[in-house]
Amino acid sequence: MAYVAARGGEQATRQATLLYHALNGPITAATVRAIEQSLPYLVDRVMGEGSLYAPELTALAIAQAGGDLYEAVLLLRAYRSTQPRLAYAETIAQEQMLTTRRISAAFKDIPGGQMLGPTLDYSHRLLRLDVLDDRGATGATDAAAQSHNSRETGTDAELVQADEPAPATYPPVAAWHRLNGLLDPLPERDPVDPAELPDVTRDPISFPAPRAHRLQSLARADTGGVLSLGYASMRGYGLIHPTVNEVRLGYADVNLRHPITGVVFSAGRVRVSQAEVVNTFAEGQAKLALGFTATLGWNEVKTIAGSMLDLEMDSPDAHPAHTEEFVLYHTEPVEASGFCIHYKLPHYVTFSSSLEALRRVLDEQKAEASEQQGAPS
Amino acid sequence: MKLAELAAPRQDYSYGFLDAFAKRELRRRMLKAIAIPGYQVTYASRELPIARGWGTGGLQVTLSLAGPDDVLKVIDQGADDSVNAANLRRFIARMTGVATTTDACRATIIQSRHRVPEERLRERQALVLQVPDPEPLRHVEPNMSRAREMHADADYALMWLSLYEQLVRFKQFIGGASYPVMVHQRYLMSPSPIPRWDTPTLHQAPHLTLLSAGREKRLYAVPPYTDVYPIEFADVHFRVESQADRVCANTGAAHKYMDEVPQPDGTSLFRLSDTGYAEKLIKRLRGETVKIGPTYYDSNGEFYKPGYLKSRDGQDIEL
Repeated sequence: MAYVAARGGEQATRQATLLYHALNGPITAATVRAIEQSLPYLVDRVMGEGSLYAPELTALAIAQAGGDLYEAVLLLRAYRSTQPRLAYAETIAQEQMLTTRRISAAFKDIPGGQMLGPTLDYSHRLLRLDVLDDRGATGATDAAAQSHNSRETGTDAELVQADEPAPATYPPVAAWHRLNGLLDPLPERDPVDPAELPDVTRDPISFPAPRAHRLQSLARADTGGVLSLGYASMRGYGLIHPTVNEVRLGYADVNLRHPITGVVFSAGRVRVSQAEVVNTFAEGQAKLALGFTATLGWNEVKTIAGSMLDLEMDSPDAHPAHTEEFVLYHTEPVEASGFCIHYKLPHYVTFSSSLEALRRVLDEQKAEASEQQGAPS
Repeated sequence: MKLAELAAPRQDYSYGFLDAFAKRELRRRMLKAIAIPGYQVTYASRELPIARGWGTGGLQVTLSLAGPDDVLKVIDQGADDSVNAANLRRFIARMTGVATTTDACRATIIQSRHRVPEERLRERQALVLQVPDPEPLRHVEPNMSRAREMHADADYALMWLSLYEQLVRFKQFIGGASYPVMVHQRYLMSPSPIPRWDTPTLHQAPHLTLLSAGREKRLYAVPPYTDVYPIEFADVHFRVESQADRVCANTGAAHKYMDEVPQPDGTSLFRLSDTGYAEKLIKRLRGETVKIGPTYYDSNGEFYKPGYLKSRDGQDIEL
């Protein structure tokens, strides 16, 4: 198959797509449902980067892309382009979120308590080979199998019901800092109308970026890209080691104001995650500085790395790889991956143009060399 | 009366794929770009179902320009049947219902990656160029914010310096495609990576050229009848790629931009890069009647605006 066929490029591209689908097999509604139900963290990650909260469509995108995440994010973003913005949700404060996990590394205990919630953080990362021959548990309800498995991993056998349900909401850890005068108090009420917020999906970003653009870009950013740049900062090229003040996973109501009655109602809930890091003696002054990142879906790595970068970007002598422009341009997943794969496109016209210039110089150098050789000394 | 009867029939996608707000934004930005020739106008740049960096900037412009009566030509490296051109053409046609063609004279919109057709474009035609890097100052100033300030001040000293450095090191300019040009005596502009052969076609052209970079979120324009000059010194001139001694193996044409096709024995064959033009030449060779427009370069390699190019085939022209 020709790369740029003299004829039949159109047929060739169609056949290449068909071959891909033939190799990867059909997609069914059942596959999509299985992805949505069994891979929630993958779905969350793609929803965050796709900046579209739609678990079913995301599962479809993952299935359609054969699990290629950049392709899946692109599918979602492209679909998102077709959707008008109908309304703006009301602001949700941290203490209003239905919180399933909230921890702080800054203090041993925090008001409301350290709420571990669902996590693999404290598990042994052993492959459960028993699952392969159907001996192990496939769901949390199978208590016998759970206990069989727990003997090997040395954990409690069963998920026990608490005597009292945990509270649904928790105060922000930073509220304590504010009470202690370590952080400036929050404004009395929301200073901006959501409809007035700069929107990175509707305005191009320019630098220095409005804070809204920065937080929106981080929310949509490539998990791997944010981790990589954030890791460089925390590892030694930046703040090195700020402290995680709060990591929070939960559900936020999408509260809308009814256009006629003005009554605020919840149109549904979305899974969100957020992280907040603090640094003491920021910019050489005796004060606390906060870095923050939130995203759709539960994605702790991205929010922690993002909040470190948020803090880092404010520093006056940030490493070149941690300036706002560098971070936000280069962690955009659709742009970065798209540009990278564009190198597969033919470039023979531009290449021939440079080749012509190169040959001209080489010819001249050759001519000069032979002239010098031939010249009488 | 039911609600369903009052509602418009369900459509999965808007006309031209993008929603009306996105198209309105793009049209406004295009008008601004036309009003300030060569100036890079930022725009939001929506994601499309084509990978970023594969022509989404050009695609957004084309989707917002196209109407049902338009006739569209899409080329990549000059070729209508290149993989990506075929894919983009199919998508635009599907979303807008435009007719498609390979004939540059028939098209009302030509979306192109890296080439301008050999036949002269005319008034009421739009050339949409896909741009990977809109910033001509990128090589001397990678920081976009500082580059914008330099444009605002028309401070292009670093570009002149880099031209001079090329002379010092190589005794000639070594710029390949995307050779920087001054537009309307004001803004330095990157003419997308079209080869230098195509750069002069933008000068005082009757057609509109729109250049759009989707990933970098910038678009700019050369309106009809606008001055476009490649940067050069009074005594050292800009040169187009020499096509001397290159004859198209399929059509026998010469003095047009050629693709070099390496052969197993180490030699090269040459073929016209502009496949739409080549198609017409072949038809004529077969004795079919075909309308071929006047070309930018004649069969002796002379550019159609005498005196604009001060060098030819690597040699300065005695004026």
